[in-house]
Amino acid sequence: MNQPADAILSLVLLSILFSFGSSRLPSLIKAVAFQGIVVSLVPLFVGHELTAGGVIFTQVTLLIRGILIPLCIYMAIKKVRIRREVEPIVGYHASMLAGLALIVAAIAFSRKFDLPGIGQYALLLPTAIALLVAGMFLLMARRNAIAMVLGYITMENGIYLVGATFSVRAQHIVEFGILLDVLAGVMIMAVILQNIKQTLDDVDTALLRTLKE
Amino acid sequence: MVELVFIVPLVAGALAFFMLGRSGRPLLVLTGAVHLALSVYLWVRRPEALLPGYFGVTPEGLLSLIVISLLFFLISIYTQTYLARSEVKSENIFTGSMLLFLSTMTMVTLSDHIMVMWIAIEATTLASAPLIYTHRTGASLEATWKYVLICSVGIALALLGSVLITVAMDVGGVTSALSFSSLTEEAKRLDPTWLKVGFVFILVGYGTKMGLAPMHTWLPDAHSEAPSPASALLSGVLLNCAYLGIFKTHKIMVAAGLGGFSGMILIVFGLMSILAAATFILKQTEYKRLLAYSSIENMGIIAFGTGVGGLGAYGAVLCLIHHSLIKSSLFLTSGNLLLGYGGRLISDTGNLIKEMPRTFVAFFAGFAGISGIPPFGIFIGELFIILGAFRAGHYVAVGLFLLSLCVIFGGFAHHAMKISFEESPKAVEMKESITLVWPQYGLLLTSLILCFWIPDTLYQTIIQAVTTIGGGF
Repeated sequence: MNQPADAILSLVLLSILFSFGSSRLPSLIKAVAFQGIVVSLVPLFVGHELTAGGVIFTQVTLLIRGILIPLCIYMAIKKVRIRREVEPIVGYHASMLAGLALIVAAIAFSRKFDLPGIGQYALLLPTAIALLVAGMFLLMARRNAIAMVLGYITMENGIYLVGATFSVRAQHIVEFGILLDVLAGVMIMAVILQNIKQTLDDVDTALLRTLKE
Repeated sequence: MVELVFIVPLVAGALAFFMLGRSGRPLLVLTGAVHLALSVYLWVRRPEALLPGYFGVTPEGLLSLIVISLLFFLISIYTQTYLARSEVKSENIFTGSMLLFLSTMTMVTLSDHIMVMWIAIEATTLASAPLIYTHRTGASLEATWKYVLICSVGIALALLGSVLITVAMDVGGVTSALSFSSLTEEAKRLDPTWLKVGFVFILVGYGTKMGLAPMHTWLPDAHSEAPSPASALLSGVLLNCAYLGIFKTHKIMVAAGLGGFSGMILIVFGLMSILAAATFILKQTEYKRLLAYSSIENMGIIAFGTGVGGLGAYGAVLCLIHHSLIKSSLFLTSGNLLLGYGGRLISDTGNLIKEMPRTFVAFFAGFAGISGIPPFGIFIGELFIILGAFRAGHYVAVGLFLLSLCVIFGGFAHHAMKISFEESPKAVEMKESITLVWPQYGLLLTSLILCFWIPDTLYQTIIQAVTTIGGGF
C-alpha cells in the first residue's frame, strides 16, 4: 500500500459517489472539476519517473480538465438559461448504491490483472475502471445534456488515469491525444449545446425524440 | 510526398472557409482532381513517407485511398449542381468542411502509427459534424449532437484500446515503435491478455464509427440529415476509414496468433449489425434512412467476412470497394429525389421511371447492385464470404446471415418498387442536368467494370492486403 497515491485515488472514488448523488448541475460540475484536479495529480505520485515535459503536461491537464472546462460549463449554464436539475433516469439513491456496488466490483475485478511496476498501488486499477464505468453511467442515466458532457469528462479522466500510469510509453501520447480530444470535443459540444438551447429552448435531450430508429 | 496527399486538401479546406459565396465550388473540384492525381501516383510508385513510422503506404490503405479519391472527385462534380439547386446556408463552411473531411480521411488511410490513426479518426468526427448540421434545423441539430456524442464516446474507448496495446507492449517487453507495421512484426511477443482487451476496446471504439450494431444509432440520423453529397462521403468513405482501424488491429491479432479470438468477435458484431438492419429496414419511411440501414448491413457483412478469414476476407474487401461505389451513388441519387419531390418520405415519391428517367436508371441500377443481385460486385463478395464461412464451419452463422440478407432484400425491394413504379403524389418539374446523373453513372460503371475485369495491380493489392489477415484463396 503506497500512502499518498492511494489517498489521492480514494478521493477520486469519493468524487464519483458525489457526482452520482448530485441533483443540481453546479454541484455536479464541482464534483467533476475536483475529480479532474485530483486525477491529474496522480501521475506525480505513481512509480514511473517523470520527465520535465511530463510534469508540465500534468499541470496542463490539471489546468484544462480541473479548471478551464468546468469554468466554461459553469459560465455557460449561467449565461444561457439552462435547467439546473440533472433529470435522472436512475434516481439519486439508486445511483449512489450503484456507485458503491461499482467500486466494490471494480476492486474485485482488478485482482485478476497483474501489472508490472504499479502492482503496489492497490487502488489504481479499480479507480480507473470505476471512472470509466461511472462516466458511462452518467451518460446513460442522466437526461440533461450538460450532465452527459460531464459524464463524458469522467470517462476521459478514467482513460487519462490508465494512460498516464499504466505504461511509460503511453504517457506522452495519451496526453497529446486526450488534450486534443477534450478540447475539441467539449468545444464542439458546447457550441452544439448552445444551439440546442436556441433551437429547442431546452437542453433536455428527452425532447430530442423526434427522430426514431 | 506521401504526406502531400492530405496536406493539399487541408490547405484547400482552410482556404475555403474564407471564400465567400459560390467561389469555393470550383476549389472543390480542383482539389478533388489534384487529390485523384496524387493518389494514382501513390498507387503506381508506392513511395516512402517523409515521416516513416507515422505514415506509410500499405495495400489496405491504398485500396481505401483510391476509392476515397475517385468518390470525392465525382461527388465534387455533383455538388456543384446540388449546391446551385438547394438552399445551403454559409456555403464556405460546407465546402471547407468537405475538404477538411477529405484531408482527415486521407490521413487515416496513410497512417501507420496507432496514435496518428486515432487522431485522424477523431479529426474526421470534427470535420464532418458541421456537414451534418448544414441545414440548421432542429432535426439536423439533434442528429449532430447524437453523432458527436456517440462517436466521441467511441473514439474515447478506441484511445483506451490503443493505450492498452502499449501496456501489452510493456508487459511483453517490446520496445519497437508504436506503428502498426512494427507491431505486426513483433506481435508474437506482445502480452496476449492485454492485447485482447485492447483489441476489444478498439473494435468497440472504431466499430461505433463504422456503424456496427449496437453502436450504430447515430448512423441513420446523421446520414439522413446531412446534405446528400455529405451523406455519400459519410457512407462511402468514412465507414471504410473506421474499418481500416479495425482491420489493422486485426492484422496485429492475426500475427500474434490470436486471429481466432478477434475473428469470432468480428463475426458476432457483424451478424448483430446485419440482424439490426434486417429488423429496422422493413419499416423505414424515409429513403435516406433506408440507405443508411443498408450501410449498416453492408458494414456488418464486411465485418463478418473479415472475421471469417480465408475466402471471406477477400469477399469482404470486394464488398468494401463495391459498397463504397454503389452506396455513394445511391446517396447522390437520393439528393436528386429530394430536389425533385421536395420530401424525404418514401410516400412523397413515386413513379420515378416516368418523372425522372435518368435518375431512375441510377437509382434502380444502384438498388440492384447494393442488394447483391448477380452479377454485381456485392453478389460476388457475398458469395465468397458465404463460401469462406462454410469452409470455416460457421454453419449457424451462415444461416442467420442468409436469412437476414433475404429479409433485407425483400424490405429494400419493396421500397424501391414503390419509389420507382407506383403513383407519384405530385408531378416533378426538375431538369436532370448532366452533372446530376453522370457522377452516379460513373460510380456504377466503375463498379460494373470491376465485376468483370479486375486490373492485375488491383487484384495483387487486394491479395497483399488480405493475406495479412489470413485471407486469400
